[in-house]
Amino acid sequence: MECQDTREHLLEYQRGQGGPELRGDIRAHLERCAACARAEESERVLTELLEEHLPQYAAPLALKRRLAAQWPAPAGPRPSWWSRWGRSLLPAAAVAVVLLVAIPWYYEGTGRRQGPGTAGMVGEAVNDYLRLLSSQHPLDIESGGIHQVKPWFEGRLDFTPVVAFDGDREFPLKGGAVGYFLDRKAAVLVYGRRLHTIALFVFRAEGLPWPTRGLQAMGPAQAYPTTARGFHLLLWRAGDLGYALVSDLDAQELFQLGVRLAGGL
Amino acid sequence: MGRETDSVTTLGREALAYADSLYNLARYLTGNEADAEDLVQETYARALKGVDQFTPGTNLKAWLFRILRNTFLTIYRRQRHNPTVGGLDTVDDSAQGAASEEWLRDDIDLDRLRNIVAEDIEKALMSLSEEAQTVILLDLEGQTETEVATILGCPVGTVKSRLARARAALRHRLKDYAR
Repeated sequence: MECQDTREHLLEYQRGQGGPELRGDIRAHLERCAACARAEESERVLTELLEEHLPQYAAPLALKRRLAAQWPAPAGPRPSWWSRWGRSLLPAAAVAVVLLVAIPWYYEGTGRRQGPGTAGMVGEAVNDYLRLLSSQHPLDIESGGIHQVKPWFEGRLDFTPVVAFDGDREFPLKGGAVGYFLDRKAAVLVYGRRLHTIALFVFRAEGLPWPTRGLQAMGPAQAYPTTARGFHLLLWRAGDLGYALVSDLDAQELFQLGVRLAGGL
Repeated sequence: MGRETDSVTTLGREALAYADSLYNLARYLTGNEADAEDLVQETYARALKGVDQFTPGTNLKAWLFRILRNTFLTIYRRQRHNPTVGGLDTVDDSAQGAASEEWLRDDIDLDRLRNIVAEDIEKALMSLSEEAQTVILLDLEGQTETEVATILGCPVGTVKSRLARARAALRHRLKDYAR
């Protein structure tokens, strides 16, 4: 491999992309070519500069409010099922046929997939996340560090949110709020990563349909990683508490934060 | 009808999740807050108008970025106040020419490069062409080459070379601040 080819693929190489053969060729070239090795270091420094020091601009709140107002509000109440069904018996017959086909399929399927309860938890986590993003006042307390945020929850929740990670330069803690997760109160901790907002919901775990399959070791916890509507999620429980971590952040980076939150680092 | 409105509302909520990312790109492209706000608002207005053209299950963020960029090109480039907003196919002739020579030399003092402050990185980035800024910022956003290709409307291979050229041009510009 020549210098020109190597330079063209340096970014891929640094990001672990490209096939093993290409990566091997580049590695071999870098070992014998000081100029390209220097260029590789130069690419790395540029990436660090951009990721860590380039100013990032968040949309002003007033703009977000205007954008939210631009989209249509949710539809009003739908006509009652009596009035809809009363029009014809045909839909009822169709539903009966669908049920006859779907029920055996569903029971067969639940052997492989998580139950509908878990889907409900996932849907709730994404909805809560979206509500947080579109809220005019997403944070009840701006962060001055975890030691300021955690005591703030005292008296506002019937549990103490146990979180092993205080935030750092990579994942700064932005603040907290009290919210709801399904039928119960939740501590909402908001972390950042570049321009991404990451929400951690902490709530009492009992009585919820926690996933039992597809779990992955995440530090000391067993987490359920999934994706819904383009957002990445991690669900896990530790003792009496349940955790839902949601973001539009890359799944791998979200997992890194999950490991820290679960006390794996 | 209600279901259609609900799905548009859901899409709108999801679209709002990307407001910060879109605003950041808009802020760099336009160079000021007021134009960036207008650009983002126009982007959402166009997205809402063309919501039927969005295929559910595909990448909403990339779709919004594409609308934002096309809106910028049609509106803001025409009335550009900022001479640094360059052409679509160039990375700014002087920087690009130098960057090509730099390609195999790359003799920047890395220690000095590491000490460049945020303000200077921003200035250097904003001195590049629209195309170079866009490709660097989209890459920084974590968009894949395929997604960037969709946004820019060009082949994936072109994205690779544009990104490499843009980064080379940026490194060249940063030399001025590293002294």
